[in-house]
Order: sequence, then structure tokens, then C-alpha cells
Amino acid sequence: MAEPLLELKSVSKTFGGLTANNQVSFKVQPGEIGGLIGPNGAGKTTLFNVISGYYAPSHGRILFNGQDISGKPPYQLAGLGIGRTFQVVKPFPGLSVLENVLIASFLRYPRRAEAEKHAWRILETTGLADRAEVSAAGLTLAGRKRLEIGKALALEPSLLLLDEVVAGLNPTEVDQTIELILKLRDQGVTILIVEHIMRVIMRICDRLVVLNYGEKIAEGTPQEISNNPSVIEAYLGEAAA
Amino acid sequence: MRSKIIALSMLAVLGLGVVPLFVSDTFVLRILTEAIMWIGLAITFDVLAGYTGYLNFGHGAFFGIGAYTTAIMMVRANWPFAMALLAGAVVTALCALAAGFPTLRLRGAYFAIATWALSLAIQQLALIMTITGGPDGMRLPPFLNPLYFFYLMLGVVATTFFLLWFLLERAPFGLKLKAIREDEQGAKSLGLNPTRLKIQAFVLSAVPTGILGGVYAYWITFIDPASTLSDLVSDQALVMVVFGGMGTLIGPVIGAVLIFTFKTVFWAYLSDFQLLYLIILGAVIALSVVFLPNGLWGTILSRNGGGGQRNRDLAKRRERDKKEEAKKQTLADGLKACTQKEGGK
Repeated sequence: MAEPLLELKSVSKTFGGLTANNQVSFKVQPGEIGGLIGPNGAGKTTLFNVISGYYAPSHGRILFNGQDISGKPPYQLAGLGIGRTFQVVKPFPGLSVLENVLIASFLRYPRRAEAEKHAWRILETTGLADRAEVSAAGLTLAGRKRLEIGKALALEPSLLLLDEVVAGLNPTEVDQTIELILKLRDQGVTILIVEHIMRVIMRICDRLVVLNYGEKIAEGTPQEISNNPSVIEAYLGEAAA
Repeated sequence: MRSKIIALSMLAVLGLGVVPLFVSDTFVLRILTEAIMWIGLAITFDVLAGYTGYLNFGHGAFFGIGAYTTAIMMVRANWPFAMALLAGAVVTALCALAAGFPTLRLRGAYFAIATWALSLAIQQLALIMTITGGPDGMRLPPFLNPLYFFYLMLGVVATTFFLLWFLLERAPFGLKLKAIREDEQGAKSLGLNPTRLKIQAFVLSAVPTGILGGVYAYWITFIDPASTLSDLVSDQALVMVVFGGMGTLIGPVIGAVLIFTFKTVFWAYLSDFQLLYLIILGAVIALSVVFLPNGLWGTILSRNGGGGQRNRDLAKRRERDKKEEAKKQTLADGLKACTQKEGGK
């Protein structure tokens, strides 16, 4: 098997007495779409924050391209090729959509003219070009989620971490976002996605990791996961299993 | 719009530069010199307040540090003015570095309070030390040449303005600072190092302020903690910036001119009612926060499409780029067609 792009080696994150992630290990292969699922409070977002450098892991190691990145700050990871979105979207509301993406473009294109060209390309890929001049605060939720993806994409990441990018969208918008994600995968971007909507997860993910109470309880293809008794138990309770 | 502003600013600097040819009244010259100084204090305040989102109530302290360093080097060490001024700039930069690391971890009101406390501490320090002359202040060797100080102040402020304009409005630096202002956590994930950017902004704001302090000290020839290190310097800069429009660089210039003119007229003709000045100033700032939250210039900008103008410029440039690319493409296609024909033969 090829060298994994991302590898977690028994990563734990504790806040005082609370264990948010307990010895989680898994790998993401280059070119695949990995899914991270689990009931509310399972520690998915915390794990995302650990991978993207917002929290340092309490134990364990994270390897990216074989390089140990545990505890490196987010802005260094962005430079190494990890882009992420936030569940609670973080647009720069006082700036235009274009400026939002432009700021992210400076990482790979320090010169302004080239950064602008790059930003326009990103806006076209994400379907935001016609809204480029609008202030980011004036976008709909769907638009803001797209902008979130656009900003992460402008970093030209090799690994893209998507935190609930389809939650709260209507069915048409969900389909558009799925299309976008698949297009990115085809362009060679490796994706790790956290999502609650099973319809989406089952459709696009190559492999799934299931978390419950901070621990990995299952891993496998969507097919295997949907038949796994401990996963059904975590979601629906013992009786159902 | 942007190139128009630069052209207008250059015109304004030139216009001010020729004023002494027509006006020889030292009183007018003095007023103008001080007005220019306040423009400088307002635009440097805007670097942190408007662009980065940090209200720095220690701004006046940097002014005082520059003034005192210049005075101490000239009086106690007999350095020439130019070298003493340079020392003032260096010491201000070092102080900004030292003060920035702990305070810039704080946000909002906490940062404002911390910098305010720091500036009070520096004022107290100047009061008890002997090298600063304590409460009696310091007297500098007098150099009574109003023209010299007018041009020096104009030179320093104009240089600062064009430098800030380039860094904040043209170079990526300004947008990066705005990203920090809008969402620091979000900015981190886009490859921006907030600590580094904030420290850079802090130093960029402090150094010209320190230089202005040094020029002021030599010009006025007398400094003491009560006037030079009072928090009134920060307060007035804040009022000018908020009234003119934060984060626009032009707004603070307008705010400084209007507020300073108002102050001067008031003190010249209504000096019996000095108490009224502060009351009116307070009312103006309260009203402008409520009715003109974006300040004068900010309101004008948004009426005229504001950011839209800037973005329309960007869109125009994009159109041009597209056309050029299309031209290149047709050229390439033409070449290809030609070579294919050649090959066919």
C-alpha cells in the first residue's frame, strides 16, 4: 500500500479531566475521501482541531507525508499543505468575497497581481465569481460555506479537512457541494470530511472512521460501517443493535 | 479612485509645501505645523485601531518615549538633533517590541486597558526619574526656526502617510491585518501568523509616532510628563480616527484636520469657555459613534459604493487580464495552425 498522506498514531486530547479523544489511530491514503462520523459530542471537531494545529495533542503523533506535525501551529500546517474549513464558518465579514479568498491566496502567491488571478480562479471553481464584490457578511449560509471551502482551496492544499460543509443546506445546495467535493478529489486533493448527513457520507466517502466518546469504534468502507453492530449501537442504542 | 487619492495627497503635500512662500505669519505656520503633527498621530493610530482592530491607548506613550529619548540624548549626552532623533526612533521600536508581546495576546477592552495602564506607568516613571527631570520636565537647546520645523514635520508625516498607504492599501500586508481584525482564529488557518503580523503593525505604528515626539520636543523646546506623556494624546488621536473613519487612512487625516481646526478656533476665540471644549468634543464623539459608526470618510465611501469601488477596480483588472489571455490564446492557436499547415506541406 502507498505511503499514507495523513497518519494518526494513538492521538489523545484531554481537557483537564475530560478526554475528548482517546488513542485514535487511522490513516488517510492520498487521493481518497475519508469520512469521520460519530454521534454528537464524539470528539470529531476536537480531532479536526488537533490535526489542523489548533490544539496540540496530549499524547500520540500525527504524521503528514511522513513528517511529524504534532503540535505545529495552524499557519505552518497551511504552508505544508493542510487546508481546513470550520463548522461554524469564519468568513471575514467586513471584507468582500474576493478579498476573503485573496488573503488565502497570498500564501502561495505573495505577489498581489498573481494572487488576484489565483483568487478569481478559485471563485470560478467554487461558483462564487458573480458574487465576488459582495461583502462576505451578505452571503447566504450556502454561500458562506462555499466561501469557506474556497478559502481553504486557495491555499492549494494536498489535504483538505471539511467540517460539516453540507449541514444546513437545502437538497440542491447539498448536491452542488457534493459535486464540488468530487471534482476536487478528481483534481488530486485528498479529503477528510466530518459530516452528520449519512446520505452524503455514504455517497462520497471511500472509507469511514467512526468515533464514539472520543474513541475509534469502527473503520471500513461505508458498506461495512452501515452493517457494523457497534456503530448501530452507538447511534441508535443497544436495543436496535 | 486609489490612484486619484494618491494624486490628491501629493497635491496636498505640495500645496502645504508652498504655503510659507505666501504666509510669513509665524502663528499660522505654528498652527499648521501642529495640525500636520496631529495628522501623523492619527494615521499611525489607525494602523492598529482601524486595520488591525486593536485600540492602543498607549499611543501617547510612544510619542512621549520618542520625545524624551531625543531630549535626553541632546541634553545629557550632547548628541546632535538628527542622531538623537534616530535614537528616539530606535528606543520607540524596542519599547513597542517589549510592550507588544505581552499586550497583543489580549483582545478588545483588555488590550485597551493594558496599554492604558502601561502608558500611565511610563508617565509615573518619567515623574520619579532624575534623568527625565521628574515633574519639572526638560528644556532642550532652543532652535527658533518655524520654517525648519514646518518642513521637517511635513516631511516626516508625508513620508509616513505614503509608506502606510503603500503597505496597507496596496501591498498584501493591509489585507492580512484586516483578516486578523475580522477573525484571528480563521486567519491562522490561512497561513497567517497573527502574533508576527500584530507585532509588525505595532512597531509600524509606534516608530513614526516616536519620531514625531522627537521633532515635537525639539520644536517646543520644553517637555514634561503632564503634557507630553498625558493620555490626552492617545484620546485625541482616537477621537480623530473614529470621527474621520477607522481603517481608511484618509478618514483619520480628515478627522485630524477638522478636530484640530475646531480646537484651535475654540481656544483662540472662546478661551473663556475651555471647559465647553471637552464637553463639545465628548458630544461629537458620542454622536458620531451613534450616527456615523463608520466615521465621516467611511460614510462617504459606503454612499459611493465604497468597497464596491475598490472591487470594481479589481474586476476591471480581471477583465483586462482575461482579454490579454484570450489574445495570447488566439495568437497561440494561429501559430499552431500555421505550423500544422507547414507540416502538411
